[in-house]
Amino acid sequence: MAGSSVLLRSVTRNLRRLAIGTGLISLHQVCEAGVPILIGVGIDRAVAPGDLVALVWWVVALALLFTALTLCYRFGARQLMVALAEEGYRLRDELAAKILDPRGIRTEKRAGELLSISSSDADNVSYLLDYIPRIAGAVTATVVSAVTLLLIDVTLGLAVLLGTPLVLVGLQFAAPLITRRVEDQQEVAGQATALATDLVQGLRPLRGLGAEPAAARRYRAVSRASLAAALRAARTQGGYLAASTTCSGLLACAVALLAGWFALTGRIGLGELITVIGLAQFLLEPMALLAIVPSWVAEARASANRVALVLDAESVLPPASAPVPPGPLHLADVRYGPLAGVDLTVAPGEFVGVVAYRLADGEALVRLLSGRVDPAEYTGTVRLGDTELPTLDPAYARAHLLVEPHRTDLFTGTVAANLGVPRSVEVRAAALTASAADQVVDEHPDGLDLVLTERGASLSGGQRQRLALARALAAQAPVLVLHDPTTAVDAVTEHAIAQGVRALRGGDRSTLVITSSPALLAVTDRVVVLDEGRVTAEGRHAELSEVDAVYCLAVLR
Amino acid sequence: MTDASSALLPVASAGATWALLGRELRGRLPATAATLAVGLLAAGASVLSIYQLGVLVDELRADSPPAVLVPIGATIAATAVVAGIGTGLSTYLISRLGEQLLADLRERTVARVLALPVTTLERAGTGDLLARVGADVATIKKAVTDVVPTVLSSVLLSVLTVVGMAGIDWRFGLVGLVAVPLYVVALRWYLPRSAPAYARERVAESDRSQHLVESMLGRTTVHAYRLEAQRLAGIDEASARVRDISVSVFALFTRFVGRVNRAEFVGLTAIVVAGYLLVRDGAVQVGGAAAAALLFHRLFTPIGSMLFSFDDVQEAGAALARLVGVLDVADAPVATAVLPAVSAIEVDGVRFSYDGRTEVLHGIDLRVAPGERVALVGSTGAGKSTLAAIMAGLLTPAAGSARIGGIPAVELRRDQVVIISQETHVFAGPLLEDLRLGRPDATGEQVMVALRTVGAGDWVAALPDGLATEVGAGGHDLTAAQAGQLALARVVLADPPVAILDEATAEAGSLGARDLEAAAAAATAGRTTVIVAHRLTQAAAADRVVVLEHGRIVEQGGHVELVAAGGRYAQLWAAWQSRVQVGEVER
Repeated sequence: MAGSSVLLRSVTRNLRRLAIGTGLISLHQVCEAGVPILIGVGIDRAVAPGDLVALVWWVVALALLFTALTLCYRFGARQLMVALAEEGYRLRDELAAKILDPRGIRTEKRAGELLSISSSDADNVSYLLDYIPRIAGAVTATVVSAVTLLLIDVTLGLAVLLGTPLVLVGLQFAAPLITRRVEDQQEVAGQATALATDLVQGLRPLRGLGAEPAAARRYRAVSRASLAAALRAARTQGGYLAASTTCSGLLACAVALLAGWFALTGRIGLGELITVIGLAQFLLEPMALLAIVPSWVAEARASANRVALVLDAESVLPPASAPVPPGPLHLADVRYGPLAGVDLTVAPGEFVGVVAYRLADGEALVRLLSGRVDPAEYTGTVRLGDTELPTLDPAYARAHLLVEPHRTDLFTGTVAANLGVPRSVEVRAAALTASAADQVVDEHPDGLDLVLTERGASLSGGQRQRLALARALAAQAPVLVLHDPTTAVDAVTEHAIAQGVRALRGGDRSTLVITSSPALLAVTDRVVVLDEGRVTAEGRHAELSEVDAVYCLAVLR
Repeated sequence: MTDASSALLPVASAGATWALLGRELRGRLPATAATLAVGLLAAGASVLSIYQLGVLVDELRADSPPAVLVPIGATIAATAVVAGIGTGLSTYLISRLGEQLLADLRERTVARVLALPVTTLERAGTGDLLARVGADVATIKKAVTDVVPTVLSSVLLSVLTVVGMAGIDWRFGLVGLVAVPLYVVALRWYLPRSAPAYARERVAESDRSQHLVESMLGRTTVHAYRLEAQRLAGIDEASARVRDISVSVFALFTRFVGRVNRAEFVGLTAIVVAGYLLVRDGAVQVGGAAAAALLFHRLFTPIGSMLFSFDDVQEAGAALARLVGVLDVADAPVATAVLPAVSAIEVDGVRFSYDGRTEVLHGIDLRVAPGERVALVGSTGAGKSTLAAIMAGLLTPAAGSARIGGIPAVELRRDQVVIISQETHVFAGPLLEDLRLGRPDATGEQVMVALRTVGAGDWVAALPDGLATEVGAGGHDLTAAQAGQLALARVVLADPPVAILDEATAEAGSLGARDLEAAAAAATAGRTTVIVAHRLTQAAAADRVVVLEHGRIVEQGGHVELVAAGGRYAQLWAAWQSRVQVGEVER
C-alpha cells in the first residue's frame, strides 16, 4: 500500500461524513460570498433611495443568510471533525498493532521515529479530511463569485477571474523559499529545545562538575542561532506578505477602478459597483487558500508515505504456529553477529551461567534467545525441545522461554500491575523476596500500589532492576534467561539475590544467566565461557576459578 | 525521587507576567515604538483605501465625469502600496520583537534552571523543569511565530477601522462599537468552557503519548512478556479518549463560531440601518454609508482570526507565566571561593534531613587529609550519597559544618570540588563538546590526553568521526562503561583539588566495572578523594575506609585493620569475599 492508497482509504472509509461535511461547508462558502452581494443590494435598494420597507426586507434576508451560514458551518464542520478524529484514532490503532506485532516488523526506523509516525504522521494523514472540504468550499466560493461577476459584467468578471489567479500564481514562486526558511528555523528551534532538555536531564552530572556556566553559554549560542534563523524566516515571510498584500491590494484597486469607470459611464449600477468591490475583496481569501493547498496536501502525502512504510512492513519472523514441546534449550553451531559457532545446551532444571569475555558476545546471545531475530540473520539452530525456535508460535515460545534484557522497561502504573498476573499471591511474594524487591515495596507506604511514573523513572536504577527481576521470576517461565540482573545493587543484596533466584528456579525450570558476577556464578550448576564468539571453557564456577587464570581475572575481584 | 504531590516550581501571577512583559518592552522602547508606528501606518493606509471607494460611490451619485477616477485611483493605488509594504514590515517587526524577547527569556530561564538550588531541584523533580525549558518554550515560540503577529495586526486594523468609520461620521464609530460587547460576550462564553476542555484534551494527549512512548521504546519487554494485547488495549483506550474529547471540544468551538456570526450580523445590520438613517437625514452621503459597511465586512476575517487564536494566546500566556515563575525562584547564592591546591576536608557534627523531619545523618565527624583517598562504605540507605553531596557543597547541613581547605563547602565555586553522581549522562552533541564541559577552553589534544588517562583513548579514536562524533540522545550509542569513562575524563579536564566519586562504577556491568575502577584511580590520582564504594575492592585500595550505618560512622581505619577487627566492615568484606571464595556458597 503506497502513501496514496493510505490517503484514498482515509477518504473512502469516511465517505459519508466527508460528503455531508463537504457539502455543508461548500454551502457555507456560498453564504459567505452572499454577504458582500447583499451589502451592495442593501445600499442600492434601501440606503440610497431611503426605502424603509426595502430595509426591513433586507434585514430579514441578511438574518436568513447568516442563519444558513452559521448552521451549515456548525453541522458540516462537526461531521468533518468526527471523521477526522475517528480516522486519526483508527490509523494510530493500526500503526500500534503493526509496530507491536509479536512477529516484529522489518524496518530501518528507530523507536523514536516509529513513535513520531504513530503520533504526528497519523494526525497529518487524517488532516486530509479537513483539506478536502476546504478545497471544495474555496472552489465553490470562487465559482459563485465568478458567476455573479460575469452576470454583472463580462469584462469585469473576466478581469477578476484572470487577474486573481495570475497574482496568486506569481506569488507561488516565493513559496519554496518560504518553506525552506520556515523548515530551517523549525530545525534550529528544535535543536535549541533538544539542547535545553538534554542539559536539564544531565543537570546532576553538570552540577557535580560545576559546569553550569559552560552549559548556559552553550545554550545561549544555540538559542542565538535559533533567533537568527527565526529572524531570517520572519524577513522572508514579511517580504512575502508585503508582496502579496500589495499585489492583491493593487488588484482589488484595479477592479474597483474599472468597476467605477463602468459605473460612471453607466454600464453598471451603484449596487453592482459595491458588490463588485466587496466580491473582489472577498475572492482573495478562497483563492489564497487554493494557493496554499498544494503544500498541505504534499505534507499529508509525505506523512502517508511514512505511515504506509510501517503498515506495509514485512514481519521479521516467519508465520509459525507450532506449540512448544518440553525439552532442553539447545544451540548448535550458531553464527550470529559476533557469535562464531556457539554450541550450548541447557537441560530442564539446569541453572547455567554464561561468562562472555567480550560484552558483544553476551548481548548477541541475549538478542538471539529473545526470539525477535530474523532467522535469515543467523545460521545454525536454536531449538526448544526438538523444535526450532523460528517455527514456534512466538507467543508460546516467549511464554516458555522468557528473556529479561539488561536494559529493562517498566511501565506507568502500580508496582503490582508491572509484576503481571502471577499464578498466585504466594508466587508474587516469593518472587519479590528472591529478587530483594520486597525492600523496594516495603520502603513505600503504598507498597504494591505504589504508582510508577513513565518508564519507572521515579525509581532508582537499583530499584528498577530488582522489580524487573521480580517480574521475570513471577512469570515462572520454564526457561528463563537473565542478563546482568544485579549490576545496580550492592554486594550484600547481590549475594541475597543469587541465593533467592537459585532457590526459586528449582524443579524442572531451567535458567541461563549471562553475567560476570561471582555471586551469581557461584550458585550455578555449570558455567560456560564465551570468547571470540565461541565456547572456550565449561565447568563449575569453583573449578574454573581454580584452574583458569583468565577466568579468574574476568570474574574475581 | 519525587512525590507527585510535592510542591512544584512556582508559576508567576498574571500581574507579575504582565509586569515582566512591560519591563521588557520598555527596555526596547525604540523597537517597540517603531513596531507600533509601522503597524498603525499599515492599518491606516488600508482603511483609507476603502474610504476612497466611498468617495467614488459619491462621485457616481453626483454623476461626475469619468475623469474624477484619476485622483481617486492614484490615492487608492498609493494606499494599497503603503498598506501592503507596511503590513509586511509590521509583521516582520512584530516577529522580531517577539523572537528577541523570547530568546532573552529562554536563555535567562535555562541559565536560572541550571543554577537552581539542589534542594529545589530535588523537590521539583526534573519533569517540571523539562516541561518548562522544553514544551513551554516551544508553546511560546509557536505563538510568537504564528499567532502574535496576526493578532496584533488584527487589533490595530480593528481599532483604526473604528476610527475610520468615526471619520465618516462619528455616529458610525459608535455603531461600529455595537458589535464589540457581542464579541466579548461570545469570548466570555467560550473561554471558561474551552480552557478546562483543552486542559482535559492535553492531559488525554499526554496520556496517549505516554502509552505510545512506553510501548514503542519498551517493545522488547512488551514482546518478552507477551503484553501486546494489553498495551494495545491501553493505547486504544487512551487514543479513543483523545478522539472523544477533541470532538466535544470542537462542538463547543462551532457554537462559539455561531456566536461570533451573530455578532457579525448584528454589527453589519446596525451599520446599514445607521447608514439608512444618516443618509435619510442627510448627515452622510451614500458613499460614506457604503464605505462603512465595506470596512466592517472586511474586519470579519481579522477579528475571526484574532478570536479563534485567543486559545493559543492564552496557552502561551500560561507557558510564559511558568517561565517567569522559574525566574522568580531565589537564586542559589553565588559561591566564588577558590581552593588552595592542597586541601583537607573537615566534617564536624553534620546532621541532615531531606524533609525536615526524618534525619538521615546524625552527627558525622570526619577528616580527610590532603591527597588522601577515603572510601565510604555501608549498605543502601546508610547516608553515603548524602554525606558525599554535603562534602561537595551541593547540600547544606542542618547542623554542623563541612569545610574544605578551611572554607565552608557551600561557599566554594562549583568547579572546585567535582562530584560524579550516580547518574551518568552523555550530553547530546559532538563528543568534544561533552568533554569540554569539564574545561571549556580545552584543546582537542588535551581532551585526548584526558581520554587516554581514563583508558578511553582507543575506542574514541575508533569512533566514526573521532572527537567530532555525535553522541548522546540521537547520536552514537555508548555503553554504560564508556559513559562512566567520559564522566571521569571530564574530571581530569576540570582538574579539581578535591574529587568525590559516588558509585561511578555501579551500572557498568561487572566486567566494565573493573576497567572503570582503574580509570577512577587514574582520574583522581593526587587529589583529595572520597569514593562512595559498593565494590569493596575500591575500599580495599583506599588509604582509609569509613563505614556508615544508619547515618552514623560506625567504624573507620585501614582495610586490613578493619578486617582484623571483626566488626561491620569485616562482615561486609566476608559477604564480598563469598562471591569469590570457591565452594563456600551454599545452595
